[in-house]
Amino acid sequence: MENPSSQRTVAGALEENILAILDSTEADDTQYANDDRTAFLDAVRAASLVPENGTPPTYKWFASIFTILRIGKSLELTMASFKLLNELDKRFPRVHLSVVDESKSSSKPTVIVENEAWSPFVFSSETSNEREAADNPGGSIDSSGFQLLIQDLADATAEPNFQASETKSLGNMLLFQYLVNVLEGDFQPRNCVYAETANWVLLRESLLNMLLVSRKLNYKNLMKDCLAIMYENFDTAATIALLEIGNNTCIAMQKFLILIMELDVSKKAAEMQGSTTRADGVRTPLLEMVLDELTYNIDILDSFLQVFKSEPKWKLEVVVQYLWKYIGKPSVRTRRSNGPTDDASFSGALKCFSNITSTKSTIKKIRPELVQLLLAHGLQAHLSLPCKRHVEGSSASSEETSNSSLIEVSENIISAFRNLKTADKKMEILPLGKEALFTAATIISTKS
Amino acid sequence: MMDINNLLDFESEEPLLNPPAKKRKKVIGLDDLLTDFYKEEGNLIEKAAKCAKAKARRNNDSDEEDQDKEASLCELVDTCENKIIEIGGKEDSFLWGICVFGDQKTPSPLAIPELKSCTMFQSFTDNKLNSEFEICTDNGDTLLEGLIVNGWLSKVVLARGHVEKSVAMWTFNLMVYSSKEKLRTSACDFWCAILSSENEQVKIDWFPSYSELKLALENYGFLFNSSNMEYVHSNSARQGPAQNIRAWIKYATTSCQVRSKTAIYLTSEAEELVEVIIYLFLDRQLQGLFVLLHECMQSAISYFTDNEWESSCEKIAKSIARRIPKDVNCLRIVECILGANSRSKLFRSAVAYQILLSCFDYKAQHEEEILNLLISINVKDKNCDFFKVYVYLVLTENWLLSNQLGEAKRVLNEMWRLYLRNCSCLIASTDLRSFASKVRNKASYLLQGTITQ
Repeated sequence: MENPSSQRTVAGALEENILAILDSTEADDTQYANDDRTAFLDAVRAASLVPENGTPPTYKWFASIFTILRIGKSLELTMASFKLLNELDKRFPRVHLSVVDESKSSSKPTVIVENEAWSPFVFSSETSNEREAADNPGGSIDSSGFQLLIQDLADATAEPNFQASETKSLGNMLLFQYLVNVLEGDFQPRNCVYAETANWVLLRESLLNMLLVSRKLNYKNLMKDCLAIMYENFDTAATIALLEIGNNTCIAMQKFLILIMELDVSKKAAEMQGSTTRADGVRTPLLEMVLDELTYNIDILDSFLQVFKSEPKWKLEVVVQYLWKYIGKPSVRTRRSNGPTDDASFSGALKCFSNITSTKSTIKKIRPELVQLLLAHGLQAHLSLPCKRHVEGSSASSEETSNSSLIEVSENIISAFRNLKTADKKMEILPLGKEALFTAATIISTKS
Repeated sequence: MMDINNLLDFESEEPLLNPPAKKRKKVIGLDDLLTDFYKEEGNLIEKAAKCAKAKARRNNDSDEEDQDKEASLCELVDTCENKIIEIGGKEDSFLWGICVFGDQKTPSPLAIPELKSCTMFQSFTDNKLNSEFEICTDNGDTLLEGLIVNGWLSKVVLARGHVEKSVAMWTFNLMVYSSKEKLRTSACDFWCAILSSENEQVKIDWFPSYSELKLALENYGFLFNSSNMEYVHSNSARQGPAQNIRAWIKYATTSCQVRSKTAIYLTSEAEELVEVIIYLFLDRQLQGLFVLLHECMQSAISYFTDNEWESSCEKIAKSIARRIPKDVNCLRIVECILGANSRSKLFRSAVAYQILLSCFDYKAQHEEEILNLLISINVKDKNCDFFKVYVYLVLTENWLLSNQLGEAKRVLNEMWRLYLRNCSCLIASTDLRSFASKVRNKASYLLQGTITQ
């Protein structure tokens, strides 16, 4: 051992040594066993993350950390394993982009996938899967396992006395957050290269796509549960941990939904190019499902838009599409094939409220209070769009354009509210409408 | 610390201790024995109670022999109960956790200038839109709360490029004291938005000072005085920090990231902040904020300049070492400093080293002396406190490994390996004392590491 013959034996010895820390834990519940688990997590961190050139985590390490997260012996261990997994994924991504040679203009980034790497997901068609999953409660997750997890989360958040099952639910929430991070880390580089190369196979093999096409998954139920989880509010009696982790779960859920929406856009493009096959299946685009849900269930429109704010681009898309369902699409607008619309289309929607006649005809189809909500949330999303223009173009002219567009949108909002009020004299201005008007007026008075 | 050997006394009561029935893969750990011991005790006490009751029912014809038996049984039960309490207390001390929050206090209200007098508001009330839509009819509170909860306020002040004193104070107050989750989180979002805004032109008339932050923490019940820090007993129900602690931590994180624009804290204040974050890690009620606390720590130690950090790091480490109890909490602290970058590594090493010095009552003057003291611990001694040895081992590991032993510290490295060999080879595998096997395993694991390095 003093003179290891090769790097491989060193790594092997290290792997075994670190795993040996867990030897005596197994299903043990004692504090001593939990101490060993903590020591194991710390040893992996010391080997992989602390040194500048850390040892990449081995398959077994990953599997053991994931088991600690899944079996959730204590909040301490769940939190520590959750954090460690996320950090390891960041440092040693399973999927990443190749480095582009800047000198060659033809060189495009490609996706590099670590095929042998461990994954928290397992999507094999083997029938023994279910039994395997039952035998190994800490193992990787398949589509039905994912569905169950979402179901559990939805059930738990619906429970009035959430506290009772808190530790388990917190564990499930963190597990879900981690899985979304994994899906994202796998999907983003693939989608990035797909935008350049239109190579659908990359996305077909993405974990997200494999998860969603699985026959073991009931997509509609999954989405229903997902939406229910997203606008769950935890009351003030909740513990500090629940408030924090619940809030992060809501953000992770938005991320999950947005990933699916992005996959939908790319899939649509692939369909148009004929790159998809029947095996890719048919799935209602998520945005349509969300719009339908919000149409039939008007009561949740406000709370949905209030919560769905981490990606203003997609929030604006929901608002604009919703409005267009009622105001009739402008003829200039062609069916988009790529990405959500730019913010200009919000201006397009605003034009329909620019005069009394069109406003009157629109509010025959949609309640003016709903229009108020949509306009206010639209303005909010518009204001939250990343100000690329501010950052990139430091020149005065680009600053001016962005200011003028802000002023224009603000003015259009105010005139839209005026027209709504004229068209429906009895209409009350909602608090959110008043806030939007205050904001719009202040922006105009300071920028012009 | 209680004497670990007390734990072993129960072995003398052999009749109570049936050998565990199930087959074991490894040497029976003391904890396994304990578990069985507990079970047996439980059964026995129950039986004894039943016996006693049954006897009481049997009129008063019990003979002397019976009374004798009863007396001795009672005595036995009593000793067992005491043992259990003793052992239970012992178990608790292996679980990290300190009460860093006592009772919450009612904050004295902040003198906030009239909100309605701020120009942002004034210029709007003059606007004809206001009367047209009846936007602000009351004192403006409803509108302002709506503006902050729905995220408009940061957009408005960023557009105006000006955060007025009244708005700044009002939002800060909401963030640290409001009992409404929506208000406090959106007030926190507001501050994070204006602090991290790309727009350099934004003028902020009032910044919460460190003393304001500290005051808030005191009102949550934070015990700055270490003598009040207590062990957490699992059954003690106490008041914890206000839920605003989340917003407080997030604000602290963001405020430390903007030093390039504004140095909000003095170096000494930032040092105290780092120390406070460390103590927050020790409160079991805040376990759910693990990720948040790490971000805060990361951000707080990046607040210092390189020059400042070298001395501040040691200062903080010394202060922590003086204040925390020398028990399992030391290990928790060192584990919480993740060593993700060079500053954090330096910090982890410094904290471990200072705690070690403090464990030996600062008898050691320099690094080699500490290792000498460690090596001189006789692990074969039957009174050896293996829990302490375990703590020393982990502390030394973190002090030396994060310290990147170079050629210059060759002596230290050799001494470290000698110490590891002592711990891994001199403790018999049949030693069933608490923590003996943990020390042995840890040492041999670390020894492997020094060889394969």
